[in-house]
Amino acid sequence: MSYDRPQELLKPVKRRFITLTFALALMMELLPLPVGSTRWLPDFVGLLILYWAINQPRRIGIGMGFLIGLIVDVSTNSLFGQHALAYSVTTYLVMLRQRQLVMFNLGQQALVVLTLMLANQLIMALIRLALGSAFVGAGYFLPPLMGALLWPLLTKLLLLPYRHHTL
Amino acid sequence: MNFANTPRFSNQGLRPGSQLLLCTLTSLALLVGDSQFGLMDRTRDALSVVLYPIQRAVNMPMAAAAHIGEFFITQTALKQENAELRSRELAQSARLARLTSLEQEVQQLKALNGLRTNNLQAGQLGEVLYTARDPFSYKIIIDKGLDAKLAAGLPVVDERGLLGQVTRVQPLTAEVTLIIDKNQMVPVVNQRTGQRSLLYGYGGGVEVRYLPAAADIQPGDLLVTSGIDGLYSEGIPVARVTRVDRPAGASFARVLCQSIAGVQSSRYVLVLPPRAAMPPRPAPAPQPAKPKKKKDTEDEG
Repeated sequence: MSYDRPQELLKPVKRRFITLTFALALMMELLPLPVGSTRWLPDFVGLLILYWAINQPRRIGIGMGFLIGLIVDVSTNSLFGQHALAYSVTTYLVMLRQRQLVMFNLGQQALVVLTLMLANQLIMALIRLALGSAFVGAGYFLPPLMGALLWPLLTKLLLLPYRHHTL
Repeated sequence: MNFANTPRFSNQGLRPGSQLLLCTLTSLALLVGDSQFGLMDRTRDALSVVLYPIQRAVNMPMAAAAHIGEFFITQTALKQENAELRSRELAQSARLARLTSLEQEVQQLKALNGLRTNNLQAGQLGEVLYTARDPFSYKIIIDKGLDAKLAAGLPVVDERGLLGQVTRVQPLTAEVTLIIDKNQMVPVVNQRTGQRSLLYGYGGGVEVRYLPAAADIQPGDLLVTSGIDGLYSEGIPVARVTRVDRPAGASFARVLCQSIAGVQSSRYVLVLPPRAAMPPRPAPAPQPAKPKKKKDTEDEG
């Protein structure tokens, strides 16, 4: 399992594709979903940033994480710089160990992603608490768990266009 | 070619550590600037216009699905609803007849008292575009903005009661802060006893603060806007008291309330027009006359 991905020879990833995935994730963010669902829906943009930072570190780095975070801040109507700070910190953490992370199998990666997404939520919660909001409860840390569970599926989906279909 | 594991042969750009430092400092500056000084409002306005078409596009399939769902409603459901509506109309018309006579009476009494009546005009109907995913912010975005002449401070209601207040107006959209948001405050009056108090949002709910422990308030009491703030017109239902704690040793009662309006579930909202101008505050009482300067100098001398 842990060897199958590095052995595969994939087509190079296009910049267009990365932009498209982020556009789709932002649209998910803007969907008028029923209120209860936001309690457990994972932060898709955060997941994608982690995915591309792990797999394409030359394309999506700390600076891109910061910029995309700013866009998310505007679209989710939260404070300016809240998501930007969280995303730039987590991309930095990915960059520290990126060479190891790409070699992990999906299960191990999912664990790392869980920790990083939790760090995301923790940073945003700390910012809100520092600016005087009341804490919203432990349910705030449920979305990272869903995100980690979705990680293998997301990875498979994003690899689909880059497989050589020679089966 | 750009493969995942291509090692970096040359150092390009800043090192990750300094990149992180730069980004952190920028975002902290933005955070403080946005939350404390409101410096980013212009940028936000501009970006919101760019995002508006995407919002509408994303909303479209949902609206279409709702439309199709309505089309395929069954005959029995329609019949049932029709009957229900008819019986409700009967009940309403009886109440309405009583209300019109009451209204006339009130008008007469007010005219006798020389008071001005505030006539309710129709408001602007808005559709909720989306609610923020961030669970810390209790705000909704509606599809009316400067184009419908909205202004910050206008009250927003749904069919049941008060939802909140317009806090930020953008060219095509407006942000409504719900009454359950932290720091939102509504002057209310207890319908049963007539006691005025202040309803505070604490982020996720509402409570009445600074009410003396001995105050007459019970679970089930309805709180409506008092109308003395010059912002909300009077009589809009706001919240119902759910629990009253009178802790021994504290001078204030702890009054938890449940908001009446579907604060987090309404799809259509009504933005009420601004109230007619309030009579100006009476001039402050004149300062007591100071002892004359001449006398002072005489005293000193």
